Amino acid sequence: MRDTSGADTGATGAGDGTSQARGGTSQARGGASQAGGGAVVRVRFPWEERVPVEVLLGQVRGRLEVGDRRVREFLAEFGRRLLRPTLARRHPELGSLGFFLRPSELARTIEGMAGEHVRVPRGLIFHIPPANVDTVFVYSWALSALMGNRNVVRLSPRSGAVAEAIVETLQEALREADPVVGQTQRIISYEREAEAVTTALSAACDLRVVWGGDRTVQDVRRYPLPPHARDLVFPDRSSFAVIRAAAWLCAPRATRVSVAEGFVNDTYWFDQAACSSPRTVFWVGAEVDCDAARADFIDHVSRVVTARGWGVDAAMAVEKRVSTYGLAAEGVAQSVEFRGNALANVTLAAADQAPRRWLGAGTFAHARLGSPAELAGLVERRDQTMTHYGFGRPELEELARALAGPGVDRMVPVGSALSFHRVWDGVDLPAEFTRLVTVVR
Amino acid sequence: MSVFTMDEAEREAVLVPELAALTERHRATCRPYRRILDAIGAVPPYERLMDLPWLPVRLFKTHELRSVPQEQVFRVLTSSGTTGQQPSQVYLDREAAAAQTRMLAATLRVVLGERRLPMLVVDSRSVVRDPTLSARGAGVLGMMNFGRDHTFVLDEQGRVDAEAVKGFLERHGSRRFLIFGFTFMVWLWLRDLGADLSQGVLIHSGGWKRLAEQAVDNAEFRRRLAAECGLTRVHNFYGMVEQIGTIFLEGPHGDGLYCPDFANVVIRDPETWQEAPNGVPGLIEVVSTLPTSYPGHVLLTEDLGVVRGVDDGAWPGKRFEVLGRLPRAEARGCSDTMGQVG
Repeated sequence: MRDTSGADTGATGAGDGTSQARGGTSQARGGASQAGGGAVVRVRFPWEERVPVEVLLGQVRGRLEVGDRRVREFLAEFGRRLLRPTLARRHPELGSLGFFLRPSELARTIEGMAGEHVRVPRGLIFHIPPANVDTVFVYSWALSALMGNRNVVRLSPRSGAVAEAIVETLQEALREADPVVGQTQRIISYEREAEAVTTALSAACDLRVVWGGDRTVQDVRRYPLPPHARDLVFPDRSSFAVIRAAAWLCAPRATRVSVAEGFVNDTYWFDQAACSSPRTVFWVGAEVDCDAARADFIDHVSRVVTARGWGVDAAMAVEKRVSTYGLAAEGVAQSVEFRGNALANVTLAAADQAPRRWLGAGTFAHARLGSPAELAGLVERRDQTMTHYGFGRPELEELARALAGPGVDRMVPVGSALSFHRVWDGVDLPAEFTRLVTVVR
Repeated sequence: MSVFTMDEAEREAVLVPELAALTERHRATCRPYRRILDAIGAVPPYERLMDLPWLPVRLFKTHELRSVPQEQVFRVLTSSGTTGQQPSQVYLDREAAAAQTRMLAATLRVVLGERRLPMLVVDSRSVVRDPTLSARGAGVLGMMNFGRDHTFVLDEQGRVDAEAVKGFLERHGSRRFLIFGFTFMVWLWLRDLGADLSQGVLIHSGGWKRLAEQAVDNAEFRRRLAAECGLTRVHNFYGMVEQIGTIFLEGPHGDGLYCPDFANVVIRDPETWQEAPNGVPGLIEVVSTLPTSYPGHVLLTEDLGVVRGVDDGAWPGKRFEVLGRLPRAEARGCSDTMGQVG
């Protein structure tokens, strides 16, 4: 794989290729002081190499169209490889990614883009995904590539084993792909101290996609974009669950078990720190129902957690004590109950004090609401996903309209909190990754 | 009068009622503490040390926990701890401040004797001059109270000041003198002096992490100091700003840290939260009767430790070892890509 593109890499590596390769990291670190020149990035895809950022930008050429067949074939092949049993067993989260990349899903996304205008790619997209959720970068990159963009994705040098597996699988899938895929797509790594790289990539792109916390967004905004370009940002968000107590109490045991399983998937998968993982559970109904439903729910969740063998390490156990005792000290938590280290439940003194910050894996705040309409007074702009159980569609749609001002971008059943969708954080990603050309004759 | 006198049974009998009373006193006077105890359902009687409700020590970084009115606060202690974190805030009234100074002196007297000794500081004078006093500077400054004729081993540029050390040893080297420094500073600079320190009593603290990286443990540390400087009276200690005045001091034979009579440690299994058997590592909980102005009398630290023995060493009570710091919990969240982790 590494030498198939000799024409591309040869030009850059011929001069001082060896010293570059050796000095890559330190050069990248020192990049801040250099005005863009010479800062080296480590390319991870389509092949491994080290090149100065300017060379990288020169390499990312080629034209694609919205829904380009060659990209679709590549993504579908990549998705198929992710679903291989050996890989899916080792990294189960890759299964849902593979599912997202099925040919039928890709076709549906493209069909949804039809309209009266001519849709064209935006151009060069610079992606900055979070370092610690290994799969997120693939979703936004894949949608962007599907929309015909050239992409440069910055993968953290400290990304984990899952990211490694993804990059390897991408490289494998590339062997079957049209060369245009390798020409137009780049995944790179560089130290964040290498400000020259961020500067150069920002100055060259048509859209910059920043996933991560508020701090990252603020930090990245220091690097200017070209006048026509803009940022698509995904700052800190928090999420909650709403369960109708009566519905829970009336549900057959098998249903309660599967909802509890779904809830555990929503929360424990990324240590409850994914922006869409619920942190607070609002119980809707009469007090006596809510108390009974909550107790039964906690029992079920506890059993699932035990059966799955989810545990937390000592550091996380201490973290949960610090955060929940802190809530108690502030008068926010009325009671704090631990079921081993893996599950902690906090009863809030008042529903409007629901904490938005991360409290440690498997830490749930609970509060009661008389009706779902009371959420209108509680939600904030940073509230993203509402997972629900026991509500009908008309009721949810009415609620969505009622909450419209402040927040909540997604309402999905318990168990679907982490399922990625092309509409995320209230943003239609394929639409953002394209531009509309008005044609009137 | 030594403060290392009580065996484990006697210590438990004396401390539990005192700490239980302190728990109720803080419950009555510190509202955030009362709310915590209420939320976790902590109620007396507390019959064993194990039964006392503990606070995670990090709460002193995130919350104001004070059991005396603001106007009675005589001194606020802060410590930076790990970078990027809030400092701990510890509120002392006159009584608590006096008690911590008195008991620290009583503890050190066991190895230093009644009189102030000439003192060699294995550091530079600049660490105590910095207006934004570092934890290291504060430690040196606090310790200087227990010595006289303070002589710094390093000059302002951080190089060994051979003349100063030579002068000090000419004046004091033939009789008992005090040496103080942070563990890694001692390792870095003291061995190279080529001096005869056989009359010195070394007190050192600050953790073993940097030495562990060089595969130097306590036994090696003591062996090399003895071989290279003749320094045989060596006492490591463990303490923290959240329990100021209480230090757990290494016994004369280097066989572990000992608890003064007004304090103790419990090693808790971080899975069951029960007391770990001797020899089994766990989280260190420190208890002390000194914190009367803030609810810091029973604290769960984020340090790992192990009890090596009970009532079987140079001094009575538990002897234990600190094994290192528990790493901070890290989440695989969506937040802070380049800001923090990237």
